[in-house]
Amino acid sequence: MDIFLQQLINGLTIGSLYALVALGYTMVYGVMKLINFAHGDLVAFSAYVGLTIFTQFFGASAVSFVDVIIIFLFTSIIVAFVGVLLERLAYRPLRTAPRLSAVVSALGAALVIQNGIMLIWGPNMQIFPADLLPSTIWNISGVIITFTQVCILALSAVLMIALYFFINKTKIGTAIRATAIDQDAAKLMGINVNRIIMIIFVVGSMLGAIGGLFIGLYYRSLTFDMGWVYGLSAFIAAIIGGIGSIPGAMIGGLLLGLFNALIAGYISTEWAETLTFVLLIIILIVRPTGILGEKTAEKV
Amino acid sequence: MKLTRLASAFALSAAVCASVFAADTVKIGVQAPITGKYANEGQGIDNFVRLIVDEKNKEGGLLGKKIEVVTCDDEAKAQKAAVCAKKLSNAGVFAVIGSYTSGATEAAQTTYYRNKILQTSDGTSDSLIKRKYWTFFRNSFPNSAQGEFTADYFVNQKKYERIVVLSDYSSYSDGLADSVEDSIKKLGGNVAFRGKIKSGTQNFTAILTKVKALNPDVIYYSGYYTDGGLLRVQQQQLGINADFVGGDSNDNPDFLKLAGKTAAGVYLVNVPTPDILPYEAAKKYLTAYEDRFNMKPPSIWAVVNADGLRAVMEGVEKTNSFDTKKISDYIRNDMKDFPGITGPFNIREDGERVGASLMVYQIQEDGSYKVSFNK
Repeated sequence: MDIFLQQLINGLTIGSLYALVALGYTMVYGVMKLINFAHGDLVAFSAYVGLTIFTQFFGASAVSFVDVIIIFLFTSIIVAFVGVLLERLAYRPLRTAPRLSAVVSALGAALVIQNGIMLIWGPNMQIFPADLLPSTIWNISGVIITFTQVCILALSAVLMIALYFFINKTKIGTAIRATAIDQDAAKLMGINVNRIIMIIFVVGSMLGAIGGLFIGLYYRSLTFDMGWVYGLSAFIAAIIGGIGSIPGAMIGGLLLGLFNALIAGYISTEWAETLTFVLLIIILIVRPTGILGEKTAEKV
Repeated sequence: MKLTRLASAFALSAAVCASVFAADTVKIGVQAPITGKYANEGQGIDNFVRLIVDEKNKEGGLLGKKIEVVTCDDEAKAQKAAVCAKKLSNAGVFAVIGSYTSGATEAAQTTYYRNKILQTSDGTSDSLIKRKYWTFFRNSFPNSAQGEFTADYFVNQKKYERIVVLSDYSSYSDGLADSVEDSIKKLGGNVAFRGKIKSGTQNFTAILTKVKALNPDVIYYSGYYTDGGLLRVQQQQLGINADFVGGDSNDNPDFLKLAGKTAAGVYLVNVPTPDILPYEAAKKYLTAYEDRFNMKPPSIWAVVNADGLRAVMEGVEKTNSFDTKKISDYIRNDMKDFPGITGPFNIREDGERVGASLMVYQIQEDGSYKVSFNK
């Protein structure tokens, strides 16, 4: 039983990271119908920015709780800025162009960011210092949970709930939903679509930045091409949950993490990834729009 | 008048001589991961080769010819390695040092063989000498030697009863783990679990939780340091009270950085580390390396490759030619106990380096190594 619970916690931790990153994909897709392939590399970028802030301004030694919040805040602001820049330079000029052009632009932007990371920080593996968060470990009758894991689970839950209310209960949230349904109609209703898209990129990039920082804190090794691994998993999570749907991205991320951990734990570690994706393909066959994806009638 | 003509003739001939001399170079290739995950190993190999070549050039070069080094970055990827093989062949090198990983070495082997270019690598995968190319010889010791040594240490020295063997999917790591597993079984030991992780995925908690239920005495990992360090951290986090033993590719300073405090107590199996090599040549070259690059070689791998290069140069000088077939025959048949930096250097007929000396180190609290078993 404790082994099962342990696998559950393992799966939920990695699943929440996927979910945080998946939100960035799903929000951009929801509003712009564009797969922002550069999002994964933005996540890797944020881990590097966080590491630099930590080593340059805090001397890479154990810091207080307030300092950790400052690192998170500054990193998300910088990454949000880069996210907005990405939209202005790579996506806005192509907004009326055929959809494939935008996809190519997104892939190009991903390569630019990835190689930018390599040029700035070098091709070698970078290592996050170990003592940024307390290394407390709780042992609850055989089930191990670390402080970092609790942080990841708690903060991603809070962020997702906050995002849900932001989208569904605020005026800006209503404007975002309106833009997602029909950009032209939203414009006619007096919504500034450019601003809404900017907000989407700010929020999505910030969530990705927090995901990236947690990846850095939890796993501690950073490589310039790591964005691809996490980006791909999160993208798949977004599709499973129903791309464009915010609760869908959360559920998709958690499911992906859980499936992987449970299959590795109980069936086969070597086949874990293969079987996980077979299961996910089955989900998509049964529900082609994803778990929470809405069936939309094609406009003729 | 006559005198000036004579003088100008002299000057002309001197100029011709000089230009001929300048063009008279030989090229040696380095194929190594200069960027990517294993960049610090690849750069170490490149640095060490350049150190030895520069020294040789100062002494007047190889058979009076200056040596030029051509480096190609294979990023430790098979596709890039195949491109490198073509590139270096076209550049006209007569010998290639590298690559670091067995996979990248294997992908380039055939091209070098067809072009009659000598190749020497630290790759330890047993498959490297299966094709019996006369152009290839290994400068490290094969997985099978390490597998037998590790198994003997586990079963006869440590008397572990429940052994977990993990590897990644690379030909090197998988082969080494298989070799360890087979040798343990031969000695009557018990491999409780044999698993594989996907290199670079960072999250290994699922497989480790599965391992935890088996209550192992030891977890052995045959892959590379980038994953080994993380495995160790996650093992400790999950509270698995087992020894951690890493294969030779975990022997890298970044393993210590990744594992942090949890590195203490880890055992590593490898040939002797550079700084405790007892040989004459070792002191000389390792000091020279530190003087020039202000750091120690990243690991033993740069050093064995340097020995491969030195064996090639020895072959050129002893056979007095750049005929690669002759050099290869000399290295295989006539070279006995060449004084390498990593000990006596002997190559068998099939290109295998023989006479392995292996050790087990334990990492101490302060990050230093202590020899705990050798043979």
